[in-house]
Amino acid sequence: MRHFSAFPRLLPALGLILLLLPGCYSRSDMKSEEGATATSKSTTETPATAPPEEAPVAGPAEDASDVVSGTAAQPLQAVNVFLEVSGSMEGFMPKTGASGENTKFQQHIAQLLSEINRTSSARQKTFYRIKEKPYKDTYQGISATVRSGIQQPAKSTDIPSVLDTLMSQYYQPGTVSVLISDFIYSPKNAGAIPYIKTDITDALTRSGSHPDRAVSVYGYTSDFRGTYYPALVAAGKKTNCCDTEIPYYIWVVGPADAVRRFDAALLEQQPSKQAHFGVTYPRPGYSLLSKYQNKGSWYYGDAGASKRNADAYRVVAVSDASVQQPVEFVVGMNLGQLPSQYREVGYLKQNLTLQGVDTDAKLLDVTAATDQTKASSGPESKFTHFAKIRLTKPPKAARPLVLKLQDQRPAWVAQWTTKNDATPASKTFALSSLLDGLEPQVEGDKRPVFELPLTLQPGE
Amino acid sequence: MKALFRSIYELIGAPQPPADTPVYRDVIFPNIGLLNLGISLAMVVVFYYLINRAMGVATFNKGRHWAIFLVLNGLIAFLVTVWQTSAQQVTDHSYIYWLATWNAILGMFWFFLFSVLLKRGSTNASTTPF
Repeated sequence: MRHFSAFPRLLPALGLILLLLPGCYSRSDMKSEEGATATSKSTTETPATAPPEEAPVAGPAEDASDVVSGTAAQPLQAVNVFLEVSGSMEGFMPKTGASGENTKFQQHIAQLLSEINRTSSARQKTFYRIKEKPYKDTYQGISATVRSGIQQPAKSTDIPSVLDTLMSQYYQPGTVSVLISDFIYSPKNAGAIPYIKTDITDALTRSGSHPDRAVSVYGYTSDFRGTYYPALVAAGKKTNCCDTEIPYYIWVVGPADAVRRFDAALLEQQPSKQAHFGVTYPRPGYSLLSKYQNKGSWYYGDAGASKRNADAYRVVAVSDASVQQPVEFVVGMNLGQLPSQYREVGYLKQNLTLQGVDTDAKLLDVTAATDQTKASSGPESKFTHFAKIRLTKPPKAARPLVLKLQDQRPAWVAQWTTKNDATPASKTFALSSLLDGLEPQVEGDKRPVFELPLTLQPGE
Repeated sequence: MKALFRSIYELIGAPQPPADTPVYRDVIFPNIGLLNLGISLAMVVVFYYLINRAMGVATFNKGRHWAIFLVLNGLIAFLVTVWQTSAQQVTDHSYIYWLATWNAILGMFWFFLFSVLLKRGSTNASTTPF
């Protein structure tokens, strides 16, 4: 026995070490393991059956809406602010009264102009007063006009020609034009009223086609002290107007990307009515949540789904589903970058749709984050909205499933539109016709606000 | 490797709850599978080669001594499973204990298999358990 000495005693220990060294997995290992390829025998076994992420979905979702986010960090080249100073705007900017009271318009616009003047999100800021054509002004000059009234009001400004000017002279990449006006458009005669939409479209396209042109419309109301000029001239002007609040608008015109960045930097903070035309948004962050209100037999089918630090899962692997035991899963979405209009739960409930192939998957509900989800230690704390989806038929093979938010004209536009503005009210003459003119030229070409592709596949 | 351990451990059914399936398949099954093989082999080596050969212990070579090691091996396999599942923070579920029991049975099977293969190399226990 003795002649074996110490070495054989070590043999079992050695064998054990050799055996265990390459073996142990942990979730944090998985990532480095995939990158480092085959340094140990266990690496060769990455699940070959898992589909590449999103591969079967692709479709139209992978286009520009993903790309625009790249330049977000850079400030805009220039912002051109145009304040309409025709007679109809005088009521918004009356001379300061004896008691020092001002209108909501003065309060709001003076502050907005100051914010634009100070903002670091644009390099060059220029201010114009619009009469028959834009007159260059200084920040001090235009701010004084807002505060203490219009000195020499223009007789009238014609919205199509203003838009034409903006598009032909001020439309540059990385530049937005901000138009502040009551947008009361009086056509030359009653016969021109049906053609308001066409006039606007023509004005925007006269200087050439800009496929990335976008317009954001923000609507506000303000008290009004002065003479009110209705669009229908025949109705006659109303002096000493008004008891009701009168709407005014801020239009942001420019390339889609620039408009989006300007909106986010300066106009999203305050509550307002808004509508967006042709503005594109980067695809919001989203992920499946396997442990938040989940039901039934399904799990993440993504390759490397066991990684604890993966930030997004897009593949639902359904092992079993039936009418008695349906599968329910929740998709967390981060809509913080979208305008508030698209973040409203009511809007989402109406316009978020689910498109699937060969499946009975249905969108059950859309909810906003609550204090409970925000405080959770799970991944649901990262998301602002949740979409719950149910299906009762297991998929036969990998199939795409797309959550799509339709871009719908908000309801306030119809409520703020009037056909006859002879009596002053919180409505604007032919507003929806004006906005019709901003829609993309080709009908049915309206892009969804976002598309979130997922994949349904059978469990292995 | 993963596919092999998956097929072995899913003989008792799919992992529960389903949401933890990827963690079980990618992490826990390979871990407990490899540990189980290694520990079973180590126990066999300790019994036949360390105690009953290198150390020359003459009074620990009966079938009941072998059985002690067999049961000990099963117990370790059970505890290793419970430890691994808690280390990977899977959701608490009775499945964990079914899996641990299955792993103990597998552990005892490996111990038996390695015993049959390696007992000849022992001087004092070459005919244990039979």
